[in-house]
Amino acid sequence: MVDQITAILVIVLVIMAIALAFSIGANDETLSALIGAGVLKFKIALLIGGVAIGGGMILFSGGFVAKTVGSDILGESIQYTIYMLLTVLISSIIWLVVGSFAGIPLSSTHALIGSVFGVIIMYAISQGGVNPDTALNWNKLSNVVLSWFISPIFGLLITYVLFKLVAKFYLSRLRGLNQIERSEKNFKWLLLVAVIFAEIWVGANSGEALGILYGLLDNGSLNIAQYFIFTVFCGIFACIGIYFAARYVIRNLASQMIDSRPSEGLIIQISSAIILMIATLFGLPISHSHVIVFCIIGLSLAQKKELDLRGLGKMGIYWILTFPIAAIMAGFIYFGFISFGLY
Amino acid sequence: MKEIDEKDLKKRDIDDLTHLFMDNINEQNLKLIEGIEYLIEEDFTNFEDNMNYVIETNTEVLIKKTFESKIFKSKLMFSKADRLNLFTKINDIKNIGEFLANKMLLYRAVFPDQKFKTRILTILKSLKIISNHLSSAVKLIGSNLSEARDICEEIKEERRKMRNEEWQLLNRLYNYDMDYLSRTFLYLKELIEGIMILADHIKNFSEYIQFLATKYLIFD
Repeated sequence: MVDQITAILVIVLVIMAIALAFSIGANDETLSALIGAGVLKFKIALLIGGVAIGGGMILFSGGFVAKTVGSDILGESIQYTIYMLLTVLISSIIWLVVGSFAGIPLSSTHALIGSVFGVIIMYAISQGGVNPDTALNWNKLSNVVLSWFISPIFGLLITYVLFKLVAKFYLSRLRGLNQIERSEKNFKWLLLVAVIFAEIWVGANSGEALGILYGLLDNGSLNIAQYFIFTVFCGIFACIGIYFAARYVIRNLASQMIDSRPSEGLIIQISSAIILMIATLFGLPISHSHVIVFCIIGLSLAQKKELDLRGLGKMGIYWILTFPIAAIMAGFIYFGFISFGLY
Repeated sequence: MKEIDEKDLKKRDIDDLTHLFMDNINEQNLKLIEGIEYLIEEDFTNFEDNMNYVIETNTEVLIKKTFESKIFKSKLMFSKADRLNLFTKINDIKNIGEFLANKMLLYRAVFPDQKFKTRILTILKSLKIISNHLSSAVKLIGSNLSEARDICEEIKEERRKMRNEEWQLLNRLYNYDMDYLSRTFLYLKELIEGIMILADHIKNFSEYIQFLATKYLIFD
């Protein structure tokens, strides 16, 4: 009976991980710059973006961010249980839904890691014999948390410097609207390459879905073949998410970008992709939306545009609150499971 | 005005069509100014001819249609909305000019004195200058936004001079010993105001060109 329930819960977790992959695709905003610039037909752009994000997810599923979330972040003697993973997912989803109602773009990565933290600490406390100091890989966790602060700042700096360089050596030499238009047409093709590059790393850095699967692999609930198959499913569903669900968000954002310059989009995409690539190669799950927001700030600063400081402050508070609130919520939910003897 | 062939128009690109449209409208503007000069000289035949030319000329309609169909179909243009706006603003000059020409044909006024005539001629000269400047600025948008911006600054300066001239003219007009409800008074008042509406539109247009320069030019 217990085995049957466990098997059902594993299936539920796999489905939820795949659903998370779908939602990662469905919430994609990267393609809007490409659609707004009119580089490709809408459906072709969606397909290319979908394949890139799905491909990135599959290609980097063997370690990197998936391994960090699914295994490395835990202490040496700790492995995820089914209920831990279930708690992590429930807590992350609740906080993200709250964020959606508040109209704040919250980071699913921060919510997930916060939930992992809360669950493991609750587990250590409830078990008595488990030392909270060794229940988590504090070195890895601190690197992850540090990367959340460093990555947006580096995104801002890279965008700022990149724009200043491009402006000094190229854009400032363009004199008339026709010349600017011709140059921007060329930038559109570079933007296409940059967006594909960015989408691959968005997929590769999607620790939410792959981390859950890796956790199941690590605790023996899945074997390597099953893990790989479900990873492919995640990639496919991320692609489907972009193609069928993200189109409304993308079309809406793209319509606001009709007169935006592809050169600016290119600089933002390259900067964010570089940050995502470095973070992924170091196995650090970071928030893509945070990086993008700071890249846009970097561009605005380089162009001496005014910033909405009040809006940014509000966003910053929610960003900082995500980790502790997700942790506390996950702790309480897991405490509920423990109360019924479900570890 | 040179006849415009529809086939020739279709071969032209959006930039070319804008320039052609601007030339067309500027030419009608100059005809309007020349017509008012004839009125000052009391040469009513030529005055009527010029006013009728402004009202009846519709070559710009063909250019406008071609432009609209081209801009609608054109893709990969991030400046599409601004180019359309630019074209609409040129078209507004024609509308204002045509309205003024129609109004001027309602009556044949004889100007009160030489000083009044001289002052009207001064604002007409300025209107001619800003109209020609605007035409040059519009043509420079494609090749040199910075120079277009500088020309627009000259337009604004000239328009400021016109404004001073307008107050002096109105002051003079209101102090003539004539019946305030007379047709001549109303006609002259409408003439001055009509010229200034056109000048104001050109000034607003030049500010829009300066906005475009600020939007598109990037400085290191």
